[in-house]
Amino acid sequence: MDNNSAEKVLEVKGLSKQYKKGVYASEKVTFDVNKGEIFALIGPNGAGKTTTIRMISTLLQATEGDAVVAGHSILTEPEKVRKNITYLPDEAGAYKNMTGKAYLKFMAELYADTKAEVDEYVQRGCEICELGERLNYKIATYSRGMQRKLLLARAIMSKPALAILDEPTSGLDIINALEIRRMIKKLASEGMSFLLSSHNMLEIEYVSDRVGIIAKGHLLETGKPSELLEKYGTKNLEEVFERVVTDNEIL
Amino acid sequence: MKFFNLFRKELKEMLSAQTILVMIVSVVALVFAGRAMNEAVSEGTEGMMDITIYDADNTDFTQAVLKSLEDTLSAEEYDGKVIKVEFESDDYAAELKRLDIKSAVIIPKGFTQQVEDGKTADVEFVQKMTSLARMSNISTGSDNAVYFLSSAVKSTIYADKVMEGTMTTEEVALLENPITLKESTVVANKTEDIASSIVLSLCSAQTMIVPIIMFVLIMFSSQMILNAIATEKVDKTLETLLSAPVSRLSVISAKMLAAGVVAALQAVVYMFGMQEMMSGLTEGAENADSYQAALSNLGLTMSAGQYVLVGIQMFLSILIALSISLILGALAKDAKSAQTLIMPITLSAMIPYLLSMMLDLKTMSPVLRYIVYAIPFTHTFMASENAMFRNTTLYWGGVIYQVIFLAVCMTFALRIFMSDKIFTISIGGKKTAKTEKEKSLFGR
Repeated sequence: MDNNSAEKVLEVKGLSKQYKKGVYASEKVTFDVNKGEIFALIGPNGAGKTTTIRMISTLLQATEGDAVVAGHSILTEPEKVRKNITYLPDEAGAYKNMTGKAYLKFMAELYADTKAEVDEYVQRGCEICELGERLNYKIATYSRGMQRKLLLARAIMSKPALAILDEPTSGLDIINALEIRRMIKKLASEGMSFLLSSHNMLEIEYVSDRVGIIAKGHLLETGKPSELLEKYGTKNLEEVFERVVTDNEIL
Repeated sequence: MKFFNLFRKELKEMLSAQTILVMIVSVVALVFAGRAMNEAVSEGTEGMMDITIYDADNTDFTQAVLKSLEDTLSAEEYDGKVIKVEFESDDYAAELKRLDIKSAVIIPKGFTQQVEDGKTADVEFVQKMTSLARMSNISTGSDNAVYFLSSAVKSTIYADKVMEGTMTTEEVALLENPITLKESTVVANKTEDIASSIVLSLCSAQTMIVPIIMFVLIMFSSQMILNAIATEKVDKTLETLLSAPVSRLSVISAKMLAAGVVAALQAVVYMFGMQEMMSGLTEGAENADSYQAALSNLGLTMSAGQYVLVGIQMFLSILIALSISLILGALAKDAKSAQTLIMPITLSAMIPYLLSMMLDLKTMSPVLRYIVYAIPFTHTFMASENAMFRNTTLYWGGVIYQVIFLAVCMTFALRIFMSDKIFTISIGGKKTAKTEKEKSLFGR
């Protein structure tokens, strides 16, 4: 798919977050995500991935720049942006006194406009998370993997234009992580767009269509994993990352 | 060595800067409360042995009794005096107000005649109540009056007979109890024939219910909202919620409303329970009906309208507690710090709660009084008393202050919730924000 001609779900234009004069958590970050594309921001802990994602999710206010989600600016139409996104924070929890099903219903009611939509979202959520009977149990009884699956199901059951997933497989065992990666790929093939963040570059290499390498708040490189491997003559994204930050004298 | 390392680590965790700060604030607050109470006790006990007397009988005998009384009270161990006053009418409320005194012993006309007839003589004691607080009603006036007047009567009439051993059986019986005390209580401009101690004990039902419920409600609702916010922040469910298509105002309002509803439910349950408990205590008591009538005549029973006034201040206090808890919840780093952060609210509720139960806050020194008035919950703890004693200015002044305080707290809370601060600030040096900054600077 030609990146320029594709329908853009997210356009990030010079997005910056400055906490104190001269101290940027992210600086002039620019990239875009096409419909049905999985775009991943990769970088070490503290690179500015979460800050960038939080700005796009309208949780933090950008100091400079803008981001447009499904045609709506995060600066001027934050509520419309929230209607088109779902956000799964890193190491997020859920309401432990609710059952899995009640949680999906509670969240569905925030996104849906009609009762029929609520039912549709909940049904889809139940299918995605594959928790079966355990959905009728309180979330407090869930393992970490089960809870993450439930949260991921919550994030994608409403089929948002853009699902923003921060470290979607962090803390999960190999089997659960693989399942989640497969699920993301399947949904992307059905037209849903994803913005992921991870410091697990091998995972990103497997799951994402394009990646953005971010360090110290700067987006240093973007491209398809295969293109980047070829461009830098490396075997994997970790080596690409090392080359990129070294070339940019970041480390 | 290993044990010492473990011990040091545990101690460091438990003795955080927050814990130390809370301890310091608690000590300062308790010292302040102690000073305030000490001031009230000193004021209450000052001149405690003085007896203000109106001698309506004014005979040679009563003058001799008063002389004997003066001699007794001026003795070193008592350090008291007799203050003679003149009443111009039988309207005790007006006379106490005119003479600017809190209580008086009245030797009625015919006192001498009763003694001469070998009958138990009547003495009246009238006391003005301006508050239902315990220490503001410290008075041994009636007990002193009976004790010392009895002694004076005994020494004036029967001293010689006792020495000579010529007393009749009737006189011996009278010697045990030569005086009967009739007590009256004045509230505002009304007087009722009922002892102030009985009034105080009967009113304790009303005056205890509101403060206890208020204290429980403030603590309960604050704890709920503070824990709710802190848990949502720590579990990151708040991020999930605030990234959903719902306004932040709705999220905050829903939390506050839910906490308010649960708090109100608690209020109703506690109110019902306490009233049942209090009515159970007084049910079937001797003279219960006449006591209730006396309280009603003194204006010390709450009407439906007065309950509404008290309810308004209770509601305002709960909203203030909730808005402060919103701010503190946003500051909490984790569940442990949320538990510590409740302390300012606990102290702000406990100080006026204790002081209003013990003291008449209106009589405190101006500096202490205004410090206590600055605590918004104080006005609710005073609400039922202000309503019953018709302290209209104080009541509405309190309401206006609470509304302004609430507006300021809510504005502050909303500013935190509507901005990045909800994710970036935490108590003890904006650690979250610092972490973000540190993240951006990694490697440098």
